[in-house]
Amino acid sequence: MPLVSGVLPFGLIVGANGVALDMSPELIMGMTVLFFAGSAQLAAMQLIQENAAFVVIVLTTIVINLRFAIYSATFAPLFYPLKKRFRLPFAYLLCDQAYGLCITPDQQQRTDAERISYYLGTAVALWVSWILAVILGIAVGASIPPEWMLGFTIPLAFLAMLMSTITNRLLLIVAVVSGLAAIFLQGLPYNLGFILAIVGGVVAGLILPRIAGRSFNSVMGRPHE
Amino acid sequence: MSELSLWGLFFVCGLATFLIRLSFIQLHGKLGPLLARCQPVLLLLPPAILAALCIPPIVFSKQVDGLQVELAQILAGCVAVVFASYFKSLLWPILGGMTFLWGYRWLIG
Repeated sequence: MPLVSGVLPFGLIVGANGVALDMSPELIMGMTVLFFAGSAQLAAMQLIQENAAFVVIVLTTIVINLRFAIYSATFAPLFYPLKKRFRLPFAYLLCDQAYGLCITPDQQQRTDAERISYYLGTAVALWVSWILAVILGIAVGASIPPEWMLGFTIPLAFLAMLMSTITNRLLLIVAVVSGLAAIFLQGLPYNLGFILAIVGGVVAGLILPRIAGRSFNSVMGRPHE
Repeated sequence: MSELSLWGLFFVCGLATFLIRLSFIQLHGKLGPLLARCQPVLLLLPPAILAALCIPPIVFSKQVDGLQVELAQILAGCVAVVFASYFKSLLWPILGGMTFLWGYRWLIG
C-alpha cells in the first residue's frame, strides 16, 4: 500500500491544524467523516481561520470537490446497476487515491465483479488509514507549540499539490493569473477575492488558447475527440 | 464561528461533497453531455483553486494592523517548489519549507 504512506502525513497535518484552530477532537473527527476530502478540509480550516463567510466556505468546498464529479462519471457504468444500499456508500468512498488505483489499464481489463471488490478493498483501506492518520494528528497536535507555525503547513501542502497539477504551459498561466489576482484582491470583503481569482484563472485558461488560435485540446496535449 | 455553527457548516459541506460524488453514479446516462461541455472548466479548476488558496497566505501574514509581506515565508515557499519538482510525495516539500522557515527564524529571529 504505497498510497497509504501519502495519506499519513496529510492526515497528520489536518488533525494537528484542527487542534491549532482550537477545534474539539469530536468536531475535527465529525468534520473528517463528513468531508472525507483532505484538501477541502484544509481549505475550510484556512478560511475559518480567516473568518470567511459561511457561504464562501461552502462554495470553496464545492469547487474543490467538483473533481469528484469526474470520478463519479468514471465509475457510473460500474456502480449504477448496484442496489442503492451499495451505491450510496460506494459513492461516499470515492477519493483521489481510490480513483487513481482503480482506473489503471490492468484493472480495466477485469470483470465488473473483480473491479468492484478491488474498489471496495482499496477505498475502505484508504478510509480507515485516513481516519487513523487524523486521530494521530489530533494526538500529536496538542503537544506542538505555536512557535512552530504549524498553520503554515496548509499553504505549503496546497503549493506542493499545485506543482503536481501544473503539467503544461496553459495550466501554469492559469495558476499565475489566479495567484496574482488572489494577492491583489486580498482586501475585498467575505474572501470574495479568492472566488474572483479562481474565476479569473479559469477564464484566462479558456480564452488564451482562442487568442493563440489553437484548440483547447491541443494546448492541453489531449487527443481530439 | 461557534461550535454549533461549525457543525452546521461541516454538515452542509459534507452533504454537498457527497452529492457531487453521487451525481453521475445516480444519474447515469443523463448527465453525459453536460460533463463533456464542462470538461475544460473542470480541467482548469485545480491549478486556479490551489494557486488562489496558497499564494496569499505564503506572501502575507495577518497582523493586527493589516497584512505584512513575509520574506521568510516566500523563501520557504520557493524551497517547497524546488522540493516538489524533485519528489512526488507531498511530505518532502512541506518538510523542506517548514525546515527552512524554522532555520530562518532561528538564525535571523
